[in-house]
Amino acid sequence: MCYIQHLMFDESGMVATDGGVIAEGLVKRFGTFTALDGVDFRVAEGTVVGLLGPNGAGKTTTIRILTTLLRPDGGRATVAGFDVVREARVVRACIGLTGQFAAVDDDLTGRENLVLVGRLGRLPKTAAIDRADRLLEVFQLTDAADRALRTYSGGMRRRLDLAASLMVAPAVLFLDEPTTGLDPRSRLDLWDVIGELRGAGTTIVLTTQYLEEADRLADRISVIDGGRIIAEGTADDLKARVGGSVVAVTLAERHDAARAAGALAEAFALPPGEVSTDSEVGTVTVPVTAGGDALVAAVRALDAAGVRVADLVLRRPSLDDVFLALTGHHATDRRPEQPARVTGRAMG
Amino acid sequence: MRDPRRRAALPPGRVLADIGLVAQRNLRKVLRNPRLIVFSTIQPFMQLLLFAFVFSAVATVGGGLGYKQFVVPAVLVQTMTFAAMGAGIGIANDLHTGMIDRFRSLPIARSAFLVGRTASDSLRLGIQACLLVLAALAIGFRFQAGLHGAVGMIVVVVLFGIALSSFSAWIGLAVRDPETVQAAVFIPILPLVFTSSAFAPISRLPGWMQPVAEASPVTAAIDTARGLALGDDVLVQISGVHLHTAAWHFALWWVAIVGISTALAVRRYRLG
Repeated sequence: MCYIQHLMFDESGMVATDGGVIAEGLVKRFGTFTALDGVDFRVAEGTVVGLLGPNGAGKTTTIRILTTLLRPDGGRATVAGFDVVREARVVRACIGLTGQFAAVDDDLTGRENLVLVGRLGRLPKTAAIDRADRLLEVFQLTDAADRALRTYSGGMRRRLDLAASLMVAPAVLFLDEPTTGLDPRSRLDLWDVIGELRGAGTTIVLTTQYLEEADRLADRISVIDGGRIIAEGTADDLKARVGGSVVAVTLAERHDAARAAGALAEAFALPPGEVSTDSEVGTVTVPVTAGGDALVAAVRALDAAGVRVADLVLRRPSLDDVFLALTGHHATDRRPEQPARVTGRAMG
Repeated sequence: MRDPRRRAALPPGRVLADIGLVAQRNLRKVLRNPRLIVFSTIQPFMQLLLFAFVFSAVATVGGGLGYKQFVVPAVLVQTMTFAAMGAGIGIANDLHTGMIDRFRSLPIARSAFLVGRTASDSLRLGIQACLLVLAALAIGFRFQAGLHGAVGMIVVVVLFGIALSSFSAWIGLAVRDPETVQAAVFIPILPLVFTSSAFAPISRLPGWMQPVAEASPVTAAIDTARGLALGDDVLVQISGVHLHTAAWHFALWWVAIVGISTALAVRRYRLG
């Protein structure tokens, strides 16, 4: 449902929508660079879809087209049943957007920011003030409500930005890398909030570079790389693509990585490309099918190669493994941070 | 459930309300930065003192007119060149922080962002111009063509500021970086101020500079401001043009600058 009274002149001010997001063959070029090369993308009403991909994959460009900020060079898209080019203004009345860079005003207070967005989103003044108060409470910002945003921490700003995108109860909420740059504690807080919105049935499109984030928040995941969707499904579907399990080895000596990879590739009769190594951290992962036997085989191979092992586990593939299997490269250049573990350590 | 009227233009009341909200937000930002207000008023005041007391000791413009009387309208016009940079810097900041994306993703009138910016800038420029006029009166400047001349001069000065602001807004949208905006606005405007009738009558400028100065939009604005502040007779005596000629000249420049800058800025804004 979208609040578009000013457009419909409808008594209730509400209009039923087909909900969800449909994108077909979206193309966007910047000069000679093709940012999107035929993106197909679907979000059913009431679900959360994660758009997962590395920097430069086309995530933000896709979001900018779906939120009417950018015109596609090809293809078409509808949001909440409205065309993003021909019915751009109606789409704008139906969406909430939290961008990669917090789109809130530093000089205004938290409350002023929310009321401004609410009123520009067509709420009457008193309704905007009431809703701002309620959201400030939900996002635990009531104490900071009348302080200028420049005094907020990164996590507070991001929460306020999210609150701003919820001022006019959107039919579809777009979250473009909502937790990028946040400390682990704030990231967990934000995950809780997004989880609650998901529980309330909000349709959400979420972009992220963090596999863990997509795994945790999204019902379905679309993997984007080089301006194309290269895989789509639930986290489990995608993990099943890697097949079976993964043996992950943490080496005692980082410089042993190549030797360990060679020994494991030989032991499991895999082409060297299937074994992934991270020589900076000193880890080697191998996709396997044989479960417990594989663990024994790995130990023997590593022992025979004279490699000292700090840790060795058999686990279900992570989305990073999936990404590697699909694209031949890691999802992020840096290893994704792992907030849960860091927080656990800090508390212990 | 679709309604064919959904693409109807926004009602004018709505557009005005959007413009008001954007303008209110900009003014709040200005008021929250008192340092900026103080400096942007003190700087031109210092300049006023410099011209009125130091330069007037050596500079003469003939016709029995004191240099202070001659230079005050010019300092006011020049101040607008500094003040107008605020528009471009503000817009570049909004691009940088993502505020423009926020506005563009809301169902508001497309014109509201730029018109709201102009509305708040006009108010800011107007307040600054009035403060400077009070300062000028305090150090002995006198209007010689009555109250309507005084009001008219302030209006012309602010209009000139709005024209420069619209140019600066386009630069802000095109350059996107607040620091670069400062240079990009200054580089074309500063030489225009010096090659004009601002600080010396055009007849006293070097020969090659005279045609440039005569055609300059800054000369048009300053001559119109002088004519209104000091009277048509005085203007003819020091500049050789009548007030109505200068005013026409100014009006044409104003329409051209505002028209072209706004068209370019709107195009930039739409492109995102």
